Amino acid sequence: MEKDFLEHRLNVNRRRFLSRLSLGLGSMALGSLLIPDLFSGIGSDSEADFVPGIPNFAPKAKRVIYLFQDGAPSQLESFDYKPKLREMMGQELPPSVRGNQILTGMTAQQKSFPLIGSFYDFKQYGESKAWVSDLFPHIGKIADDICIIRSMFTEAINHDPALTFFQTGAQQGNRPSMGSWVSYGLGSENKNLPAFTVLLSKGKGNGQGVYSKLWSNGFLDSIHQGVQFSSGENPVLYLNDQDGIDRRDRRKMLDKLAELNDVSYKEFGDPEISTKIQQYEMAYRMQSAVPEIMDVSKEPDDIVKMYGPDCLVPGTYAANCLLARKLSENGVRFVQLYHQGWDQHSNLPQEMAGQAKDVDQASAALVTDLKQRGLLDETLVIWGGEFGRTNYSQGKLEKANYGRDHHPRCFSIWMAGGGIKPGLVYGESDEFGYNIIKDPVHVHDFHATILNQLGIDHKKLTFKSQGRRYRLTDVAGNVVKGILV
Amino acid sequence: MIKTRYQGFAENLLFALNIFIIFFLLFGDGIVIPQWLQPAGRMHPLIIHFPIVVLIMAMVLEFFRFKERFSTEKLYQEFTTYLWLTGALFAAITAIMGLFLSKEQGYDGDTVQWHKWFGVTVVFISTLIYWCRSKGWYSQKIARSGAVAAVLCLVVAGHYGADITHGENFILAPVWHPEKKLVPIDKALVFRDVVEPIFENKCNSCHNPNKTKGGLRLTDEKALLKGGKDGKLFVAGQPQLSLLLQRIHMPDGEKKHMPPSGKPQLTADEMNLLYLWIKENADFKKRVIDLPASDSLRVIAANYLKPAEETEEQYDFAAADDKLIKKLNNNYRVIYPLAQNSPALGVNIYNKKTYQPKMLEELSSIKKQVVSLDLNKMPVKDAELKTIAGFENLRILNLNFTDVTGANLKVLSSLKYLRTLSLAGTKLDPQGIKAISDLKSLTKVALWDTGLPENEIAGLQKSNPKIDFIKGFKDDGKPIKLNDPQVKNTAFVITKPVPLELVHPIKGVEIRYTTDGTDPDSVKSMLYKPGVIISQNTNIKAKAYKPGWYGSDVLQVNFYKSTYTPDSISFIVGPNEKYSGDGAKTLIDKDLGGNNFGNGKWIGSQKDLVVYLQFKQPVDLHTVTLNCMRNMGSQIFLPVGIEVWGGKDAAHLKLLSTVKPPAPQKNDPFLVKGMECKLAVSGKLSSLKIIAKPIQNLPVWDPVKKQPGWVFVDEIFLN
Repeated sequence: MEKDFLEHRLNVNRRRFLSRLSLGLGSMALGSLLIPDLFSGIGSDSEADFVPGIPNFAPKAKRVIYLFQDGAPSQLESFDYKPKLREMMGQELPPSVRGNQILTGMTAQQKSFPLIGSFYDFKQYGESKAWVSDLFPHIGKIADDICIIRSMFTEAINHDPALTFFQTGAQQGNRPSMGSWVSYGLGSENKNLPAFTVLLSKGKGNGQGVYSKLWSNGFLDSIHQGVQFSSGENPVLYLNDQDGIDRRDRRKMLDKLAELNDVSYKEFGDPEISTKIQQYEMAYRMQSAVPEIMDVSKEPDDIVKMYGPDCLVPGTYAANCLLARKLSENGVRFVQLYHQGWDQHSNLPQEMAGQAKDVDQASAALVTDLKQRGLLDETLVIWGGEFGRTNYSQGKLEKANYGRDHHPRCFSIWMAGGGIKPGLVYGESDEFGYNIIKDPVHVHDFHATILNQLGIDHKKLTFKSQGRRYRLTDVAGNVVKGILV
Repeated sequence: MIKTRYQGFAENLLFALNIFIIFFLLFGDGIVIPQWLQPAGRMHPLIIHFPIVVLIMAMVLEFFRFKERFSTEKLYQEFTTYLWLTGALFAAITAIMGLFLSKEQGYDGDTVQWHKWFGVTVVFISTLIYWCRSKGWYSQKIARSGAVAAVLCLVVAGHYGADITHGENFILAPVWHPEKKLVPIDKALVFRDVVEPIFENKCNSCHNPNKTKGGLRLTDEKALLKGGKDGKLFVAGQPQLSLLLQRIHMPDGEKKHMPPSGKPQLTADEMNLLYLWIKENADFKKRVIDLPASDSLRVIAANYLKPAEETEEQYDFAAADDKLIKKLNNNYRVIYPLAQNSPALGVNIYNKKTYQPKMLEELSSIKKQVVSLDLNKMPVKDAELKTIAGFENLRILNLNFTDVTGANLKVLSSLKYLRTLSLAGTKLDPQGIKAISDLKSLTKVALWDTGLPENEIAGLQKSNPKIDFIKGFKDDGKPIKLNDPQVKNTAFVITKPVPLELVHPIKGVEIRYTTDGTDPDSVKSMLYKPGVIISQNTNIKAKAYKPGWYGSDVLQVNFYKSTYTPDSISFIVGPNEKYSGDGAKTLIDKDLGGNNFGNGKWIGSQKDLVVYLQFKQPVDLHTVTLNCMRNMGSQIFLPVGIEVWGGKDAAHLKLLSTVKPPAPQKNDPFLVKGMECKLAVSGKLSSLKIIAKPIQNLPVWDPVKKQPGWVFVDEIFLN
């Protein structure tokens, strides 16, 4: 009898469980009716919103020229004026200012951290009254055209990770470069030139290398890789026809090759094959487009005066700035310059003067040149390094001879054009130039802002690789609204 | 207690609804509410009041349920149970409606999130209480805390809900004012949003209707125009005559300086703003964006304002057919949509050689959609302006370096939206360009390198104040310095005469040079022409000159003659392993080491460096030169002694030369120098031994003491 009762109760529970279960499943099924692609395995969010090659919204800037100052120029001798450091020359950096900042192996062992002010004087320029050091008089003159950000910060303290972070949004290599993301996101404007090009130059200062991983396409399609234009006889490697082959032969060869490729495309349907055909065709068109771009002999005299006479010496920063203008004017989405030699651990006043002389006139000329062609509104120019430098001296301190170590916490860059507010000085550092006290801008924010100006929502520009979606801004980044027009 | 059929049904329904809510919370991101269901969602704010009241009643009854008086009261108990069930059920239904509603546009943000979570918590708590309340362990304590928790959640959820419906701070708004927000630049008035706030912050505490110091009020336009007891505050357009500016610019200690010492002072920007506002006629109604973009007042004011609110330009035309766009697109004519879902198109045309006017004409089928046209460097003629005028919605037109003269610019007046016109590098017709006034929306015109005289541009600017005319870089005539000449020679150690190859990248540059070690000048020094032959050790100094430019720095190039090359060379006493280059042959490879001793082209040693050279054919040798480095910061000194031994073979070597350079001095600069040894006995030699001796003990001033110094040699010249 008792067993019957027990069974009855169990049965009731089981029945109830099952009926409840069916109810639960039923309501789930009802819910699933409201989700179009729940079980189809197709992602329903961001990816569907993103169509490669077209901006999400109307862009302010169509193109970017990034003047990367490789090695990290000192903010304290360029755009962040700190008279207090001069007053306190030789005194110790207060530990309260330094806080928990970890130092590099180069100064961590140093017993004393003597503050040192800029060897060079500063002046205020333009309506914006921006402070610019005497090392950059030409950039000072365009102060009303640029926006100086004095509150950049990054996460890395050594060159390679910091540089990689700025270029790819991650400290380890293997991610696509910013230029590759832009090429993927917006496509190419001019079908006769690559969408992403790279130009290298080197100053006399203590330098750090740059490597092709910085302009790698990462997991994106290889057409988005940065194409290096060099100063030698063959600006683009492997572009010229071999001896004994003329344009007609090349054309015939390409037509035949395209036919063969077409056959295998029809057989296998691999889209990579049609990409290949397109790439061959673009290279063919580049054969006539590139020499025209590289030819600076037709530039008028006042352009030469504006950029400085070095702009006619191939391989110099000035020549690369001129080239950057020509490439950009011809619809290259992203022109990436690197000028090496900014790593002043010692002998800073002298070395930095040399570096500044390399870049000052040409950088300013590039902005003015774009402006006078009516192109500055749609071209975003960026000038800056991978981090800043310490406010204390590395090694022996003399008034005219000192060095500065790496400093990721606070440094300065500037931008111009492309819908960035001109004549603005954004952000502020403390009186020691060590910490940011107003409007910090992280590298992810910087990336988000650049993409925003190009009409791309940085949260939507994604690519799925190895099972997850990647973004240039990882899972962070906010558009810096305060610097937008 | 016997359950009725209805109660069982309602319980099952409640369970199902709870599951549905959980499901919704988990997968809500992907849910799309069909339109026919949206009215149900929108009834959420209406229905919500029913469960609120029922649940509050249920909770009050629950709170007192275990009181002796009520615990036996059947009606009380049953009524409470049904109240709970009804309340929970309606709460769940309402919550689901709310979730539906939240999927409609405009419901994101923190408030909605909080409301959502507290709302569903109410559903879950009330369901839980309903389920547990008949269990044996369900005590008075649990009943009371459960009821209180549920009421709290209900109140908080209700509060956030009200925020969504009525806006934040609805109740307190009439009595509490939060901090003032920045005004977007496109909506701002110069006076109201930039100038007046300065008065409000720094002046009005003393100059208001209640406290009118100096008889002056700065609180409204009328009072401002009236001024104070010392007279009118300002003369519009004449800042230097304006009392306001005189007072604020007085020295700090002065009694009449405003604001008085001790009060918050005006910043430099603020003073500047007041100055510029008065200078630009103290207009009370002017909008900030009506000022030209480069106007000082606008530039400074922008710092006090928010960027223009994101207003994407709206176009009133329909999109063109995708297939048509695809068909018109080719390698040299790129047509691209401005953005996703935008009907607007941009067109860029490339390649001078393939350009033809019909490339524009062919676009007639999409002429409504083109808002941006880039014809940079194309040979576009005036005639094509007519075609361009047909692109009625054009905003941006780039005609840089085209062949247009603008003589018929008038035809473009049909472009009523054109904002930016770039004409840089064209040869403009001064008369035709005047028609630019007909382009009503134009704000920017690039006129660099157009040959228009300065006064013409000034005239244009005057008659079109809203347009920003960009004149661009103008050579101010001040000379700048030329860059150095470049040397194209690649070999600087020569065995036979070679031509000197100097070039300069700038056309029309003269290169002057000397060979005697003096700096060249622009008059007396030799003018470089191709064909100069170098046949011996030569020190070239060259400078570039061009009229209108400063001369360049000096380029210095040294050529070294080395007539003989030995057939073999080996170390008898070798160098330091780290600085051994490519072995002894590094010393005769005709490749100089430059300034960097660590680059593998220099041979370095802290011991005597002894080299043995052999010639198959005896040579008539007169000098042996060792190219040495001095770099005292790295303890590198010139050798203290060099000995050259020679003879017909290794067994018959005689000392032919000894050179002892002067002792090093403190602060001797960096130097690369050929140390020449003249051989005492001339005659045919087959074997040669050269010894270079480093300094044995570093001088006393050197920071590294009691060590031998280094000797570094990169090349041996034999003549």
